[in-house]
Amino acid sequence: MTNLQTPSTNSWWKKQDVKRLLVLTAIFSILIGYIGSTVQTWAMGAPASDSMQNVINLITIFTWVSSPVAGFVAAIAVSALLGKHHYGDNPPPEADHAISNSPRANAAWIVVSALLCLFALVAGLVALQEEDSQILNSNAMRISVTGQQWVWNFDYPNSKGVRSNVLHLPVDQPVVFNVTSKDVKHSFWIVQMGIKVDANPGVITQTAVTPNTIGVFDLRCAELCGLLHAYMQNKVIVESRADYEAWLASQPDTSQTTWVDKNPKPEDQGGKTA
Amino acid sequence: MSTTLTKTHKKALIERLNVFTAFGLGILCAVVAWKLSLALLPQDSEAAPLFTREDKITLISMIAWFVGFMTGIGALIAPFRWALGKDLSHDENMYYAGKDLGVKRYFKFTTDHKVVGIQYLVITMVIFGIGGILAMLIRTNLGTPEGGWIHPQAYNSIVGTHGIIMIVGTIIMVTGPFGNYIMPIMIGARDMAYPRLNALSFWLIVAASIPLIWGQFIGGISTGWSAYNPLAGQAPLGMNGYIMFICIFAISTMVAGANITTTVVKMRARGMTWNRTPIFIYGTVASVALALPAFPVFFLSQVMSGMDRALGTSFYDTARGGSGWLYENLFWLMGHPEVYVILIPAVAALMEMAPVFTRRPLFSFNVAVMGIAGISGLSILVWAHHMYMSGWAPLLNAPFMLTTELISIPTGMLFLVLVGTLWRGRLWMTVPLMSIMALLWNFMIGGITGIYLSDVPADAFLHGSMFVTAHFHYTLMGAGLTGAIASLVYWFPKMTGRMLDKKLSWISFWLVQIGFNVAFIGMFIVGLQGQPRRVEAYAAIFNRGNLITTIGAYTIMIGMLILLQNVISSWRSGQKAPMNPWQAKTLEWTVPNPVPLENFAELPVVTSDAYGYGRKN
Repeated sequence: MTNLQTPSTNSWWKKQDVKRLLVLTAIFSILIGYIGSTVQTWAMGAPASDSMQNVINLITIFTWVSSPVAGFVAAIAVSALLGKHHYGDNPPPEADHAISNSPRANAAWIVVSALLCLFALVAGLVALQEEDSQILNSNAMRISVTGQQWVWNFDYPNSKGVRSNVLHLPVDQPVVFNVTSKDVKHSFWIVQMGIKVDANPGVITQTAVTPNTIGVFDLRCAELCGLLHAYMQNKVIVESRADYEAWLASQPDTSQTTWVDKNPKPEDQGGKTA
Repeated sequence: MSTTLTKTHKKALIERLNVFTAFGLGILCAVVAWKLSLALLPQDSEAAPLFTREDKITLISMIAWFVGFMTGIGALIAPFRWALGKDLSHDENMYYAGKDLGVKRYFKFTTDHKVVGIQYLVITMVIFGIGGILAMLIRTNLGTPEGGWIHPQAYNSIVGTHGIIMIVGTIIMVTGPFGNYIMPIMIGARDMAYPRLNALSFWLIVAASIPLIWGQFIGGISTGWSAYNPLAGQAPLGMNGYIMFICIFAISTMVAGANITTTVVKMRARGMTWNRTPIFIYGTVASVALALPAFPVFFLSQVMSGMDRALGTSFYDTARGGSGWLYENLFWLMGHPEVYVILIPAVAALMEMAPVFTRRPLFSFNVAVMGIAGISGLSILVWAHHMYMSGWAPLLNAPFMLTTELISIPTGMLFLVLVGTLWRGRLWMTVPLMSIMALLWNFMIGGITGIYLSDVPADAFLHGSMFVTAHFHYTLMGAGLTGAIASLVYWFPKMTGRMLDKKLSWISFWLVQIGFNVAFIGMFIVGLQGQPRRVEAYAAIFNRGNLITTIGAYTIMIGMLILLQNVISSWRSGQKAPMNPWQAKTLEWTVPNPVPLENFAELPVVTSDAYGYGRKN
């Protein structure tokens, strides 16, 4: 232990407390990365599209990338708590040293955090590029989404004017959603497909997805939109192409029904309506 | 009592004014303005949008309240006298500073920074009390999936009021009490640069609070704290209370920001170079200086919101040429710097305490300053990450992702300073020291979840979900409030002359920290499962997570009530505090208890930094 008092004779990484710190860092990093990513993946559930798979992958990557930093900080905190303690109303004797800086530690910390940040940024940009390119897919089916207090309406292409509140999608078919709102801001969120875009009155925003799993999924409004915001949710039914076509054919022709005002009055477009 | 004041037979005006005359005149003005505008304002024409007349009447009455209150408290006396060419005499200024006034000075327009600090401390506790009660209402309602006993309109209003009141509480929780009371002593000054502005900034908050409470009785703030348009345009009259509240609070913040910044730049003791200025001072200045560009924008956004409601303009109305995105931009131009306004002083306060409770110098002072400066600089360039999914400018998502993720570098520097100081230190096991540990834990979770949210594709899933709510509670409460409570424990002996009870402090610390982590880990999970924010009912799969969060929230409540009890009982009858109970080296511990009116009999001269702990060998 006398080595501790004579640092010049010994390299810093051979000191006992540094070794313990490194071991603790490794243990905590692995624990944090493993527990964090396991819980996250479990909570997010099974993905229903590649976009959602992307989200899960990104979150897992970020958890593992930040786990060494979190592990290091946790290791220092735990080493400090395991180390010398002092209780009582008067302060402990002062530390054996007055080290107030270490340019090497600062530089190492800043370089490592900058590299991790750069990695996170690149991973994000790559995923973002994939997501954005989906909107440009010319083979995509275009569904119009209209939010209004407190219901979603979907207008389908290649149909005789079918409109529904439950979203039906054929599996493995790229879809682009043209989203707008009749009154206030809503946010169109298909939970298990990992896509979301705000519905703004008077403007069309876009998002795109290719559902890859047959099943029933959740559609929720993710922007506070007034009284019944909590109830502005519905089902998304992803079915085979044949089932989808059959459903579409079974729907009534609503193209002559006046769902939408052809010449809206200003009050209906986000002006004050009591 | 001064000779000039007692010479006249009747009491001088400035002796008569206090909080009661302020409330009296404010209410009188509001009622008169209400009656007058009710009688005189023309009826709305058929073409006008609904509510315009009622909005005008409400806003006029609230403005009248504001003017009446500020006049009644005496804020206008000095400017009025100055305009008449008769400045206040020395005796009158001493009266204003609260000389020989005893308890009465806490209820008057008192300019002494120590009185303002105590006033801020009390109002912060009141704000947290109200916000906490609202939080408990929310969590109780969310204890069961089907929503339940609170009407959706009332629920939305509770969520909005909880949000805005807690934001305001956390903005003032460190720079208000400790920035006003401790900061001038810490830099070796006798008072702030502009003592009257200091009193003004506090009483403006009191004036602002009334419209917010008023708004609760005329429909509430059913829009969430962000009050997005066009929803805010559609909201009931209570929205005007929010608008007035923000406008007055923004003035208060700007006034306080200008005052604190000037004080630190101009009034540091001789020899206190920037290298010898304590890190808490940097944190305070960074916080209030960030508020300087942020709050005028917030003020403006609410003025325009009020004009849309009351005058029929269309700044935010898409159908008539406006844009809701304009509001979002203005709001988040304030909203993102604002979270660092809250966070930086709390972290800086803990950095101030780290050397004291480990008895070694602060590690890498320069890196700490770089971290604070880096966060401040970047934080005004990241606002649109709140709008990734708004559709405003998809092409700007990548640049905003860059600036947002860059913030992790200066934030990491703050961690480095704290862990560097802990490393090989001898820990003095006190609540402030354990608060540093709690900050490392909570802020690490808050920071890493922030990286997920900064990433656009991940945000497409997480935006608007409970995950976001849990994330910012981890930063603002887990990091910010932890720092503020540690500051209270640390500086309580100087501010009140008494020690906080140790045992009760420990109990409340553990209850709050454990309850907090239980509550918000549960909220992270329901967020990842897909529960949206601000809902009063939810699907059955979120049941368990919400129940866990509610249990955690009740634990926090018990911890906070114990803290409140501790503060009250220790303040009244706690153990008398020595001059320097922590054996710290900053200047505020060199003045006696209670602190004299002008702090220092002789202004100190500083010859070293405040972190000279540890044996040199």
